[in-house]
Amino acid sequence: MDNTILKVKDLKVHFFTRHGVVKAVDGDSFDMRRGESLCLVGESGCGKTTVALSVLRLLDSPPGKIMGGEILYGGDDLLKCPDDRLRQIRGNKIAMIFQDPQSSLNPVFTVGDQIAEQLKLHLKLGHREAMEKSLRLMEQVGIPRAAERINDYPHQFSGGMRQRVMIAAALSCNPEILIADEPTTALDTTVKAQIMDIFRDLKREKNMSILFITHDMGTVAGFADRIVVMYGGRIVETGSALDIFDHPTHPYTRGLLNCLPSVSAIRDRLTPIPGAIPSLINPPKGCVFDPRCECRLPLCATVRPEEVVASGDHTVACHQCAPSVVGEGHKPS
Amino acid sequence: MLTKIGNKVGGLRNLLFLCALMLLALVLVLDIYAVDRILEPLGYFYIVFALLAIFYGIYPLYLSRRLTRYYWDRTKRHRLAVFGLVFIFFLVAVAIAGPFLTQDPTKVRFQEKNVPPVGFSITQSVYDVKTDTFSTVHIPGTWRHALGTDDKGRDMLAMLVSGARVSLQVGLLATLIAILIGTVLGVLSAYLGGWVDNALMRFTDVMMTFPFFLLLVFIIFIFGPSLTFVILAIGLTGWTGTARLVRSEALSLRTREFVMASRSLGASDSRIVFRHLIPNVLSSVIVITTLSIPGVILAESALSFIGLGDPTVTSWGVVLNAGQRTLDTAWWVAVEPGVMLFLTVLAFNFLGDGIRDAFDPRSQV
Amino acid sequence: MKKGGLQGYVIRRLLYAILIAWGVATCTFILLRVGPISPADKYLANMSARTADPSQVVAAVEARYGLDKPLYVQYFDWLSNLARGDWGWSFSTSMPVMELIQKHWIYSFQLILLSMLFSAILGILIGIYSAVKPYTKTDYLATFFSFIGISVPNFWLGIMLILVFSVQLGWFKTYYDTGLTLFSLANLKALVLPVITLGTGAMAGYTRYVRSAMLENLRKEFVRTARAKGLPERVVIGKHVFRNAILPIITIIMFDLSGVVFGGAYLTEIIFGIPGLGRISFNAVFASDYPVVITITLIGALIVLLTNLATDIVYTRLDPRIRYD
Repeated sequence: MDNTILKVKDLKVHFFTRHGVVKAVDGDSFDMRRGESLCLVGESGCGKTTVALSVLRLLDSPPGKIMGGEILYGGDDLLKCPDDRLRQIRGNKIAMIFQDPQSSLNPVFTVGDQIAEQLKLHLKLGHREAMEKSLRLMEQVGIPRAAERINDYPHQFSGGMRQRVMIAAALSCNPEILIADEPTTALDTTVKAQIMDIFRDLKREKNMSILFITHDMGTVAGFADRIVVMYGGRIVETGSALDIFDHPTHPYTRGLLNCLPSVSAIRDRLTPIPGAIPSLINPPKGCVFDPRCECRLPLCATVRPEEVVASGDHTVACHQCAPSVVGEGHKPS
Repeated sequence: MLTKIGNKVGGLRNLLFLCALMLLALVLVLDIYAVDRILEPLGYFYIVFALLAIFYGIYPLYLSRRLTRYYWDRTKRHRLAVFGLVFIFFLVAVAIAGPFLTQDPTKVRFQEKNVPPVGFSITQSVYDVKTDTFSTVHIPGTWRHALGTDDKGRDMLAMLVSGARVSLQVGLLATLIAILIGTVLGVLSAYLGGWVDNALMRFTDVMMTFPFFLLLVFIIFIFGPSLTFVILAIGLTGWTGTARLVRSEALSLRTREFVMASRSLGASDSRIVFRHLIPNVLSSVIVITTLSIPGVILAESALSFIGLGDPTVTSWGVVLNAGQRTLDTAWWVAVEPGVMLFLTVLAFNFLGDGIRDAFDPRSQV
Repeated sequence: MKKGGLQGYVIRRLLYAILIAWGVATCTFILLRVGPISPADKYLANMSARTADPSQVVAAVEARYGLDKPLYVQYFDWLSNLARGDWGWSFSTSMPVMELIQKHWIYSFQLILLSMLFSAILGILIGIYSAVKPYTKTDYLATFFSFIGISVPNFWLGIMLILVFSVQLGWFKTYYDTGLTLFSLANLKALVLPVITLGTGAMAGYTRYVRSAMLENLRKEFVRTARAKGLPERVVIGKHVFRNAILPIITIIMFDLSGVVFGGAYLTEIIFGIPGLGRISFNAVFASDYPVVITITLIGALIVLLTNLATDIVYTRLDPRIRYD
């Protein structure tokens, strides 16, 4: 599709640990379209952060290693292009925000310096211009008294303000894609809402393409255009926000949504998903969700489910939905 | 009844230890006022050291065999630490048994001066009294002096063995004194707090302000060089680092739940100090002990190297000093004690590193 | 507000330094009075050859040092003399101690400065290189040599360097000549071996500290942020990681000055015949030149005190997280 800005194809990432090889991402593919907010959802340890880091080749290696696949952006395969080319893209075309703003900011440089750094690097601005632009960026993300605070150090800011600084730094070069790796997880609930407001504004006003990673379905409701659900290193369901929230098809997605507290549906208690995440060193042979699935088939233990189209844009990797199992007699084209 | 008194000082073990110390003090009093000398001054150090090792080293290790085994396994994985330990055992054996097997390290034989070690030979011009001429002679190393002799004909092997004994004595005793003072002051400072803590830490700061070696030179200069004084000087000045470390460890322990719980159950101060604080800072103390020994050994040999050591004992520093003056005629006199010193320090450093890693839960060896 | 905080901090540290200086002076006084030999005896040992009547000398010396006065008067005299810079008379060199120190401190300073530069620069470079390429052959080699460097006694290293390079190879046969200027070629050449002698241990130590500090900071998340910005690895390591790793190293280097460097410089000066304060003190010890030994010990303590003070203040400038209390 012409509209596609980032294409992840059959990505495989392994971690080589003392206990064995962890298949953190095991053959995942998805597309990201221009101007959309795509949310990657899943429990911790499901590989979503690994996917995000792989896009900019930021995985610590060792132990992480990208084993195969392609990530296409513009004319480049980000997994194979030379380091120089990648560095021109990092921060400039694709920017990234991390989970913990406390440790993601360098404690010994002022926030102004850290925002201005990319401006000097990519836009070749002089020191004064870069600092002026940094000031405007800080105002833009809603840091009060930005002019006074630009020479402060990260430890003098609160958690929410630090995350705003991270966002300001990420936005500095006007990137085409913003990758946000659980940007609200380490924050208080009220601050979380304020940060989500910034993301909504970015989407609405700048029409920015955002890859948003979270473990919390509640955070993405009302923000996501499309949602990719991951489990055990594999993508189990992809679809528009409407598809996922209204017609969750994969048993795991349904389980995730059952964990959400809801105002409309009156339930006595939330329903947790039974069992624990499988070891990714020896993942189940067939479907990774099989050991915890409530509606498993005999097939699930041995055969890995392919992605099938449920409706239009909505794909699911589950034997329950595969035509062969349902008995329709024909495969989707 | 005995257990009751024992509980006052934190257990029967402490009571027995204190009794043994009192017995020793009695001997000391007799020693001072009786005519006959019962023990050499250093003998007291050795006995205290042995008592401490038995009551607070071997016995607790034996009690918690499983933990000991665990730490030993972790230390063992450091191959260099094992090398260090083997070398230290070798050195101890040499220091204990060696003097009975070697020649007298102080015996001067001018006719056998400057004999090189076995396998080496030198040519030297020698003055012949009878003919009043210089003649060039070829001196080969002999097995009689396997490591050669110095410019006074003293046997190098014997001097090195004697040096090993001095170095270990100083290394162990001075470190023990320093660590004991440091631990006691650190625990007291942390536990009592208030003005005691303030005064002790200010005093520690003052002591740390003196450059270590300059202070040693100064003390020896005033009090005169004898092995006992060298040991005392190093021990009485080297405790500052330990005191600081133990204080900060004990401070963080003091607010931990098990100490709070113990206090809320009505435990006395001495009980908390002896049963909770001291055993829990012990692992850090063991590590800092092993890592302090090399510095102490170096300090002693440096002192005797510049001539401020005990003039009556043959230590490596003394031999090194003699060797420095004869570099052009007998290189081995300077090389051999240095190699011993270097290996000893290296061995303790390796062992110390291994033990530190074994006690550090973060390190995965 | 921030500035006032810093000023207050500096003033508090200064007052504390004065307190410690007083403690140092008092400790020295106590040591002197507890010691078995009185200054008069030391003088006597030296002067008796030249003077006819020893009792006259004792009286003169006791009067000079006020030893006939009560202890507390002696103590206050001692403090006020120290504070006024009246540090006594060196009889083995026949000049005021102050003058003697002024004549010789520069040689110690030069040796220590050069060897600190040598050890800091090499140690930091090797440490960074080791940390950037950990667990490679070069890293293991660097670790191995740093272990040897830490364990080798520096006075023995000095003797071995003389044995190999002066006696056997004959490369550095020059001796330090006070007649020449400090940085004359001959003197610099004479300083090569002493600088290596004094610097090796410290260099090995810094290599290990820098390596572990760099490795620790390389694992931090801000490194990932810096890389995500598109910064070249050179900047990521040279700026972001190094600036964080160097903070504790500065304290260690300053701390070394008291423990390692002074002791080392003392021995190095003796071995290589450099006429610095260590050598002067050494000569004074064997000439029983009391005031010189005391003064050099006190000067050593003073320098440690001042460097600690400077380190603390510099540190607050370098690490923005430090609070002034």
